[in-house]
Amino acid sequence: MANRSELGRKGNHPDLLAGLIFIVVGALGLWAGRDLRMGTAAMMGPGYLPLIVSGLILLIGLGVTIMGLLRSREPLGVVRLRPLLIILVAVGGFAYAAGSLGFVIAAAWLIGVGSLADPESRLREIAASIVVLTIFGILVFIVGLGVQMQLGPF
Amino acid sequence: MEFFDSLILGFSTAVTPTNLLFCLIGALLGTLIGVLPGIGPTATLAILLPITFFLPPLAALIMLAGIFYGAQYGGSTTAILVNLPGEASSVVTALDGYQMAKQGRAGAALAIAALGSFFAGTVATIGLAIAGPTLAGFALSFGPAEYFSLTIFGLLCATVLASGSVIKAIGMIGIGLLLGWVGTDVNSGSERLTFGAVELFDGIEFVVIAVGLFGISEIIVNLESPESRGLIASKITRLWPTREDFRQAWPAVIRGTALGTFLGILPGGGATLSAFSAYTLEKKVSRNPQEFGRGAIQGVAGPEAANNAGAQSSFIPLLTLGIPSNAVMAMLLGAMTIHGITPGPSVMHNQPDLFWGLIASMWIGNLMLLVINLPLIGLWVKLLTVPYRLLYPAILLFCCVGVYSVSNRAFDVALAVGFGFLGYLFRKAKCEPGPLLLGFVLGPLLETNLRRAMLISQGSPSVFIERPISLALLIASAALFVLLLVPAIRKTREDAFVEEEA
Repeated sequence: MANRSELGRKGNHPDLLAGLIFIVVGALGLWAGRDLRMGTAAMMGPGYLPLIVSGLILLIGLGVTIMGLLRSREPLGVVRLRPLLIILVAVGGFAYAAGSLGFVIAAAWLIGVGSLADPESRLREIAASIVVLTIFGILVFIVGLGVQMQLGPF
Repeated sequence: MEFFDSLILGFSTAVTPTNLLFCLIGALLGTLIGVLPGIGPTATLAILLPITFFLPPLAALIMLAGIFYGAQYGGSTTAILVNLPGEASSVVTALDGYQMAKQGRAGAALAIAALGSFFAGTVATIGLAIAGPTLAGFALSFGPAEYFSLTIFGLLCATVLASGSVIKAIGMIGIGLLLGWVGTDVNSGSERLTFGAVELFDGIEFVVIAVGLFGISEIIVNLESPESRGLIASKITRLWPTREDFRQAWPAVIRGTALGTFLGILPGGGATLSAFSAYTLEKKVSRNPQEFGRGAIQGVAGPEAANNAGAQSSFIPLLTLGIPSNAVMAMLLGAMTIHGITPGPSVMHNQPDLFWGLIASMWIGNLMLLVINLPLIGLWVKLLTVPYRLLYPAILLFCCVGVYSVSNRAFDVALAVGFGFLGYLFRKAKCEPGPLLLGFVLGPLLETNLRRAMLISQGSPSVFIERPISLALLIASAALFVLLLVPAIRKTREDAFVEEEA
């Protein structure tokens, strides 16, 4: 993605992104496992397979990247930041609120903020969704299924 | 008469009121979600998985299986009526089914799809009941070396038969394996790949990955593209097919059933591959191939029978060998593990009521689908008018509460946000997340068996070649790999999935 301008006609962007992901994951795996004991083939240590597989992923990442550079140009497809960021923020906020503020605030945040991801949402509908889904959630999840989450902050 | 005793045991377990109720709920929920475009069966299972933790193990599995084949069925309904395949496996059904609907033959297409699916489901269930004990008996003699080779074979098959780039799929399996090893190493007790986070010492929860990769990222991708909505072609006037329709459809149903049952067993196979292959087969054997795409009833009957048979028979490797063949089966494996069941040959011996109960319930579920759904088609079509903007907040709530409820921690929800983002990147990078899930559930098994085998052989890898079954599996894996490099086969494989991506 970063080198879109220099590539011109060549460069398969989905492949380049995939290559980048694999390289990052492989490198992270090698780094996270750097202190793990390898052991021997007969007595494999905790690091034996993770390090081998991380190395393999890194190699695959390099291979996919090279292939991506050589293949004909293909764009990444639509990338819209609005739904991506809003949904991640909505769920992240739920995670934060679920731990301390209780279900009602968490659910209201999730539904209220999450609904903004679709530009067609209307305020009245969002308000109705918050009320209906929060009550539904309390009845089904907390009362019905017994999920262990406090309702309010206190 | 052991076979009949087992079947009676199965039916007596499945026909209890609770199990029937969960079978019905599963089939209805599955159809409901299958009808709604944009939520695939894998995402549905991921989202609803946590709810089943509150049920007894058999009821949970019955409900999950019901959701799976219900979704299959619901996807075909919308494919025929509004040209919107709810699932990948019903993409080919839309080709001829929608054309039939346009010609006013929607009722015939729906009825043939339903009857064909039911027939295929029945045959595949019988196949599962017969093949299950044989395969499981065979697998009981497997040692660690065989299991290691089998896992390698299964993972490799899954990449070859799945759509998309093979090398990317192998990379995805690798990432899945790494994720599966996060946490405490059973042998040495040391923490690995946890980045020092105490919350990760017990490993990553299956539901977190499943909901993040399949649930949350699917919602984001759906919101990126404007809603597509088909138009209902016509009113359904006559539901029952004509004699001529039957005459043309039944050979296609039989061919589709046979093909689907076989392809479903293969790792990586299952409903989608079966449906695509059946369509190609019908087109090849037909005397009037030009009719395909213009409302040929064989083009509906064959793939519909095949996808249902494939869906049903993909349970075989999971229930007998403990090796899931696709992402949906990986979900079921995750569900079984959470209920304390280790899928594999021992299930049949230790918990015969569970194994046979599940099989019997599959057949009952298929019957329910047939009886419930034909009269309810009008209702399902109405559901299509519910806009996505009202649906997805509810789906989000299910995702979040589901992830939270697994071990009642907010940390898991935060982790799911990360996997949601990762899943989004994977989709942009055209990496299928299915193989990752397979790698994740099979990672610990792969490592344990490799360690055991190598410990017994004192570090000599020849143990995998000296044991005949293991050798055969490794040769098959190698052959698959070589085949992939042959250009002609690569081309066919790409062609076979070309319609799916469109």
